[in-house]
Amino acid sequence: MVSPRAVAAEVLVVGGGMAGTIAALAAREAGARVVLVRRAPGATALSSGAVGVAPDPFALPGEPLRAARGPLEAARRLARLRPDHPYAVLGDRLEALPDALAFATRALAPLLAPPLERPRFLATSFGTAVPAALCQRSQAAGDLLAVGGALVVAGLAGHLGLDAALVAASLERYRARGGPPTFAVEVDAGLGELGLLRPHELARRLEQPGAAEALGAAIRAALPAGAGAVLVAPVLGLRPEAQVPERVAGAAGIAVAELLADVPSMPGVRLQAALEAALAAAGVEVVQGAIQGATGPGAPIAAGATEITAARWVLATGRFVGGGIARRGTLREPALGLPVQAAEGREAGVDLAARPAASLTGAARVGPQPLLSAGLRVDARLRPLDARGRPAAEGLHAAGAVVGGHEHASDGTGLGVAILTGYLAGRAAARPGGGE
Amino acid sequence: MATRAGALSYLAWRALVAHPLRRLFRRRGTGLERFRAAYVAEGLGPTTPEDRAVGEAASACVACGLCELGCELAGAVPAVRALGLHAAFRLYSRSAAGLPLAAAALEACAGCAGCDALCPTGVPIARIVRHLRAKALAGRDPPVREG
Ligand SMILES: Cc1cc2nc3c(=O)[nH]c(=O)nc-3n(C[C@H](O)[C@H](O)[C@H](O)COP(=O)(O)OP(=O)(O)OC[C@H]3O[C@@H](n4cnc5c(N)ncnc54)[C@H](O)[C@@H]3O)c2cc1C
Ligand code: SF4
Ligand code: SF4
Repeated sequence: MVSPRAVAAEVLVVGGGMAGTIAALAAREAGARVVLVRRAPGATALSSGAVGVAPDPFALPGEPLRAARGPLEAARRLARLRPDHPYAVLGDRLEALPDALAFATRALAPLLAPPLERPRFLATSFGTAVPAALCQRSQAAGDLLAVGGALVVAGLAGHLGLDAALVAASLERYRARGGPPTFAVEVDAGLGELGLLRPHELARRLEQPGAAEALGAAIRAALPAGAGAVLVAPVLGLRPEAQVPERVAGAAGIAVAELLADVPSMPGVRLQAALEAALAAAGVEVVQGAIQGATGPGAPIAAGATEITAARWVLATGRFVGGGIARRGTLREPALGLPVQAAEGREAGVDLAARPAASLTGAARVGPQPLLSAGLRVDARLRPLDARGRPAAEGLHAAGAVVGGHEHASDGTGLGVAILTGYLAGRAAARPGGGE
Repeated sequence: MATRAGALSYLAWRALVAHPLRRLFRRRGTGLERFRAAYVAEGLGPTTPEDRAVGEAASACVACGLCELGCELAGAVPAVRALGLHAAFRLYSRSAAGLPLAAAALEACAGCAGCDALCPTGVPIARIVRHLRAKALAGRDPPVREG
């Protein structure tokens, strides 16, 4: 057996998704020596790649899109309605949201578009529009409020993955709320037989020299009069540095944007790649491996062939997809064995989480689903709490989807919570004592 | 009508001739041996602890498709290409009798282990594919490639 390589750091971040990466970058910026351990990509790589911060819970169904509040005000409103939501638990620290979003935009500058005062309304592959506080540059031109003219949904001839006519027809209903007129066209970019290609194969094909340009030229040829922007399937490349969106738009001579993706999401994969590039650029050491059965900060912990010692930890291990919360009959937190809490309506508790996981779902689609919001309970400083409500370990913070109280994959706050809590936890962990 | 008559006479032949004869001359042995003799050929052998472990590991798959990004098998086989790499083990690992249908897909695995590090939920994909492939190919010519 090889003896493990020993590494000492001030801050250990467990988890390499949005929350862990932002925590590591924030701690690094505050001057700490940071090591990040990660097992694999998590929910961040499965996301649409656009950041949902908060859907406004008081917005009326027919309200003009233009009336939408900015992310901070929408998050404040959400916090008032949902006392278990991390936005509510953070109390005054919620006010750091604009700083946190600006920090993430800076850290991911080549990939993310600069934020606006209001959310952008971006179309999904099913023809619905969702508000996003931050999005990738390749998605920004699809903002329903920014299109000057008609919005053209361009399907690829022979590709079965996107029904452009259906998307365009569904988007028409946003016209009454200030959205653009929408049309569908079909373009043949001469990329060969596409029918069975999976999104990543299409994305790779478009990275080839000339392919993105051919798609752009085909779009240009198919444009109806009065077109203001074009929406295409979310397959514009796998590697951010291949610059597929820019190449397509350049050849098309019009703004081109990707639809929001379902899984497998190529924009999600690009987001994960950009996070990893940002870690490397900031000088954060990344260790590939998993942490299990740890006692907590201070004690050395093995990850793969490395043994890491750090006085302060940020646990950013995600939820069910990332592996931060495991469902083995009942709910468990595998890395440190912290108690998992589940909320039903207004009452959060460990007792609920000890119930068989299968009993934590309700039949009503719009009712609360305790299973989906289960996670760690934290205090306003993002310290995980034990069963009696006291901080579970000295020097321990948590961030992202491992923190409970929000249905991270479906309530439109997933990546927003990851950015805000990652930013706050990273900065707190960078300071001895975790103080302000 | 002809097929119905054919089927009925086949059943009658099995019930009145083949089965009594087999009972008369059947090999003695433990229940397990007789079970194996009757069912293994149809792919319905007893579940081994390894089979169960593989089935449990495969059940952690959420069908996200991320593993395909590093997989040669996924691009090689049309059925896998259309349904996703996980189809190769998720669909077929549930039914031993259906496993032979996946043999071609499983055989295309290059044993490169490009998949494992990409899986968010920690499915040991390469190990599962190797196990199912060995099972699917058992009794046929041994695979050429090394797992
Ligand atoms: C299918 C899907 C689509 C979504 N779409 C959107 C969207 O469009 N917009 C949006 O805002 N939100 C979306 N969300 C929610 C959002 O993706 C998540 O809330 C967010 O990515 C959580 O980030 P995270 O960093 O906390 O967790 P993750 O990204 O899951 O990262 C967890 C990390 O921890 C690592 N890890 C876990 N346990 C260990 C261990 N023991 N040792 C070492 N490493 C470990 C994992 O390997 C991984 O690297 C979506 C979620 C899902 C599931
Ligand atoms: S080991 Fe097999 S299944 Fe895994 S990536 Fe390689 S070819 Fe694909
Ligand atoms: S990456 Fe894992 S969870 Fe996703 S499809 Fe592959 S095996 Fe299933």
